[in-house]
Amino acid sequence: MWNSSAIDRRSFVKAAGLTFLAALQPRALMALERADAIYASGMRTANGSYAVATVTERGEIVDQIALPARAHGMAFSNATGKTVAFARRPGTYAMIFDPRGKNEPITIAAAEGRHFYGHGAFSPDGRTLYASENAFDANRGMIGLYDATGRFERIGEFETYGVGPHDMTVSDDGRMLIVANGGIETHPDFGRAKLNLSNMQPSLTLIDAATGDLIEKHSLPSQWVQLSTRHVDVDARGRIWFACQYEGHRNDLPPLVGSFAKGEDLRFVDLPEETTRRLANYVGAIAINRDEGLVGVTSPKGGASVTIDAKSGRVLREEIVPDAAGIAAAKAGFAVSSYEGGFLSTQSDVTWDQHIVRIAAV
Amino acid sequence: MRLWQPLVLSLVLATSAFAQTPPAPQAGLNEEAVSGVMQRAVDEVIRPGYRNAQQSAARLTTAMKDLCEDATQQKLDKARSALDDMIRYWSVIEIVQTGPVIQDNLFEHILFYPDRKGVALKQVQALIAKADPKDTTVDAIAGKSVALQGLTALEYVLHGTGTEDLTTQKNSFRCLYGAAIAGNIQREAGEVVAAWEKPDGVQGSWKHPGPQSEDFMDNKEAITALLGILVHGAETVRDQRLEQFYKGKDATPRPRMAIYWRSGNTWKSMTANVEGLRTLWQKAGMAELLPADKKPIADTIDANLKSLLEALQKLNPDIEVATSDAERAKLDALLVSTRELITKISDDYGAAIGLSAGFSFSDGD
Repeated sequence: MWNSSAIDRRSFVKAAGLTFLAALQPRALMALERADAIYASGMRTANGSYAVATVTERGEIVDQIALPARAHGMAFSNATGKTVAFARRPGTYAMIFDPRGKNEPITIAAAEGRHFYGHGAFSPDGRTLYASENAFDANRGMIGLYDATGRFERIGEFETYGVGPHDMTVSDDGRMLIVANGGIETHPDFGRAKLNLSNMQPSLTLIDAATGDLIEKHSLPSQWVQLSTRHVDVDARGRIWFACQYEGHRNDLPPLVGSFAKGEDLRFVDLPEETTRRLANYVGAIAINRDEGLVGVTSPKGGASVTIDAKSGRVLREEIVPDAAGIAAAKAGFAVSSYEGGFLSTQSDVTWDQHIVRIAAV
Repeated sequence: MRLWQPLVLSLVLATSAFAQTPPAPQAGLNEEAVSGVMQRAVDEVIRPGYRNAQQSAARLTTAMKDLCEDATQQKLDKARSALDDMIRYWSVIEIVQTGPVIQDNLFEHILFYPDRKGVALKQVQALIAKADPKDTTVDAIAGKSVALQGLTALEYVLHGTGTEDLTTQKNSFRCLYGAAIAGNIQREAGEVVAAWEKPDGVQGSWKHPGPQSEDFMDNKEAITALLGILVHGAETVRDQRLEQFYKGKDATPRPRMAIYWRSGNTWKSMTANVEGLRTLWQKAGMAELLPADKKPIADTIDANLKSLLEALQKLNPDIEVATSDAERAKLDALLVSTRELITKISDDYGAAIGLSAGFSFSDGD
């Protein structure tokens, strides 16, 4: 068992049942049988439509479901097997599906005056889905709460105590929500335009999952207010890792990756200058391989993936991956995708979107 | 309905997913052509575009001052004509939604739109009703809400309820406030011009991508940004302009949400937006980046831009009429045309010149 947070592949196949397996083409079935892991990722297909696909760690596409519009981040519940594809900001849909094909997908729409920001996470028991959202007229970051035991009705919302929340996750004990407030104001009237680059307010917040109360808020140091905190993941020790995108001068060398634990100050990883340049001031995704104690990041702008030792902060590996997109833990190291259709060693005629979630492992 | 579509991509699998080959190398960017494209984009499109807008703003300021002093219908007509010109020049260059114009909210100071809640109307009406003489200077206006500062505020001054003040009373508050708005627009446009005219500033940074550039570390980043102007500009025409008041045949049109509807400049502004896109595409010579076997993509984009401009000419200037049942087919066609243009630029052209940029633009996700 190389990672405790994913169901194993044999269970996935067993749970999927004969109907699902019988529906698969022989090649897909063979891909599934020999896979060490199954992932899900949004993609654009060759004909320009959008879909979410289940994929082996070699990038072999097992199955796909059509989406109404482009997706961004994904969430997976190990407790229930449900997976969610969130619309890319400022999108207004999220699709919940069962990768084993056991239930029809459910599509939910953002509440009035809200749009999704592209990320979310399940509570550890799988009973609640949290989604990062924008209360755009008030310019307030929100977390929408959805009842994952039924039809995903919206049952409430919490503030994120920041502007422009993007990625979020939940602590292993389910008590704390962890939010990356990118600090960038957007409004659907202005599409994807960033409205406050001169006055950004990035922060990382810890929120009580039961009450919505703020536990901690970490703003960025004054010299790095244009460093947008956008993606987060949690390592085996419960330490929170974050990755950033810089909106300041292109030839600045901002710290792009950092970590902290509850009660601690933010600590940036002191990446070598060459690595920082390779990441092009833009980390698009971050993932933790808990068993190996690794932090992986990708940069589509720099065309690179970088592996960092979580304990020492030392860079262990750098790879040139043109248009690097998603990253997720693999049995060894990380599975990395690209906009160009690359998924580790396989090239497919699709465009992988920015994030991957692992949904099953050997 | 079964939404899962097992292996609709079976062709993909059959042809490539099991190939176990490394990612196919994409056709590279024509690095040698990038320098010329960036130079022309800056020197022949962006800088002249902002200079034209600033000079137009200066003429508008003069026309407003003349109107305030004389308060005649003739001067009002001239001021309205100057506003029309300013809207046109601004609409040409407003497609550039990056660089100095987005610093310190300069863009929003010049144009506050869309305004779904009618904030500008309420604030402008309240300011005019209050008629505080202190609110007739450029400095005073510059310190106020963005809703009170830009083109849409001035449009209300010259075309909204109560314009009779402009021709019946010399140096009326309404007119002096309008002159202050014009002066503020002139000043804001001047700041953008100054930033672009400084040779070692953004101008040099854009023309010479590389480690010394504050904007682009290499040619790919620079061309991605230029492509982004085209794509985001076309998206603005569709999403922020047309769909603000017409979302398709199944939605109720909201003609009063159209930009510049009071002055009859809605279609003129959108036409200027598209002209701006075409000017950048053609004058910068972006087609030169295409490999020889992909040149037909340029022809298609030229044709798309041409037909879009022709379609805009055929629309009724009265937005109420243009959105009526009898005329809606033209708007539906316009929505389709803008979508096609965006796809053609973002996907076909982007991929053909060696970028996958159209998929992301690395714009904060």
